[in-house]
Amino acid sequence: MITIDEITIVRDGREIIYDYSEQIPAGSITVIIGPNGCGKSTLLAAIAGDIAPDKGTITIDELHPILTSAGTLAGMRAMAIQNQSFTLGFTVREIVEMGGDSTNVLQALGLTAIADRLVTTLSGGESQRVAIAQAIAQKTPVLLLDEPLAAQDPSSRKKIIEHLQQLADDGTTVVVVAHSTETELAWADKVIKQFH
Amino acid sequence: MKKWLPASFLLAAFVVSLYVGATQIDDFWSALINPGSNEILWQIRFPRVTAALIVGAALGVAGLLAQGACNNAVAEPAILGTAAGASFGAVLAISWGLVEVGSIGAIACGTVGALLTTSLTFKLAAIRGSLSSFTLIIVGIAVSAIFTSFVGIASAMVSRADARSISFWSFGSLALITSENLIGIAITAVIGIAIAWKIAPSLDRLSLGDATAFHLGVNVARIRLIALIALSILAGGAVSTVGSIAFIGLAAPHIARFIFGPSHRKLVMHSAIIGGLIVVVADTLSRTIAQPNELPIGLATALLGAPVLIALVAFKNNVWRTQ
Repeated sequence: MITIDEITIVRDGREIIYDYSEQIPAGSITVIIGPNGCGKSTLLAAIAGDIAPDKGTITIDELHPILTSAGTLAGMRAMAIQNQSFTLGFTVREIVEMGGDSTNVLQALGLTAIADRLVTTLSGGESQRVAIAQAIAQKTPVLLLDEPLAAQDPSSRKKIIEHLQQLADDGTTVVVVAHSTETELAWADKVIKQFH
Repeated sequence: MKKWLPASFLLAAFVVSLYVGATQIDDFWSALINPGSNEILWQIRFPRVTAALIVGAALGVAGLLAQGACNNAVAEPAILGTAAGASFGAVLAISWGLVEVGSIGAIACGTVGALLTTSLTFKLAAIRGSLSSFTLIIVGIAVSAIFTSFVGIASAMVSRADARSISFWSFGSLALITSENLIGIAITAVIGIAIAWKIAPSLDRLSLGDATAFHLGVNVARIRLIALIALSILAGGAVSTVGSIAFIGLAAPHIARFIFGPSHRKLVMHSAIIGGLIVVVADTLSRTIAQPNELPIGLATALLGAPVLIALVAFKNNVWRTQ
């Protein structure tokens, strides 16, 4: 369970999120939607422990991400950022294995055929799928994904959604930021609408 | 096979470097397998060639740490101000008569100088908030220029003539090496390379950017600080003993990366071997090309390393994407 309790986040003098509370249930898929600049990615980054709320608290199963060490946090939550870029020519398999065992996730996300390709040669959609696979490979109780479907073709979208549903069925708490409309999100267990 | 190629070249270059010189060594192979049997071989050439190997290895790994910690393809001790700071720290202490060239004291002063200037580069580059690669390199070049000037001024106050040479501090020389000061650079090289080996997996993750590295469990600020300290120990030990030898820190990790890929665990070993190889060959050339005169070693390292680096970038540029 992720508990967001009356948080306010201010950036460059602007309140991105104001006095916001939410409960995200464990073992489910929660999708955060809303217009550009409404604070969707900021909320996800705060849950991940990347940024500290100016007011209020966020807890993942009683632990405060911002007060937890990087090593411990990596065992609690995994996150794939939007637009992951790769500067060094590792293979797809090597990148995914930085998260953990790659065997199942490469197959589930349709990456087996390109497992030995250098990540510096991938398209945007492929790079994003590699970042998602790396986060899934961490096998954490909480999985945070920022715009995982944005650059994907229909077949890849289907694979990702099916795998996320499988993970949620197995008990993982999945939180996704998406640019979709509510009607496109039949696969989500809960939809949070962010409006600034 | 490919794995052993640089090590095999290094071994061959090491032996050739022991063999060639102003004086012909009689019955070389017999002298080589009997330590101490020939004074020129064991008292003069062996310490010098061993120092070349250690310094090259140290600078190669220092460059790898700089590039890995900054996630920047052009970072190296000479660009971040590390080498100029090490020279300044050592030459200042030498000019005040506190330490001798190549002594443990000079190495310590060089390391402190390297650490302070590299920290200064990072602080100034981040003065307006986030640390961008562009500002890091621009500020690093400026800090280097300032401290290189300070080295020029301080070296004019050094009483020992051979260490007073601006050429020594700018281009490096192994001419002042003795058996005694091998110990100091060997210790700093082992410490720095061991730290680099230890943090190598974290440097792999750092190549994905600070945010992703943090999500994978890396304490980014701590790893960068450790890399900075190891880089300063390696550069401080090398530069305070043999002067500033540019280009090894840039060339050795890149050549290693082109041959062996981006994994930092492999790169620590191979950057050390390739760095050692370049400096051993460069030193051999610098003391044989213009006999009886000796060329500054930095000239030879640039002449050797640059064409190889250009060729690799021109023909196989898919290891480091610079956008």
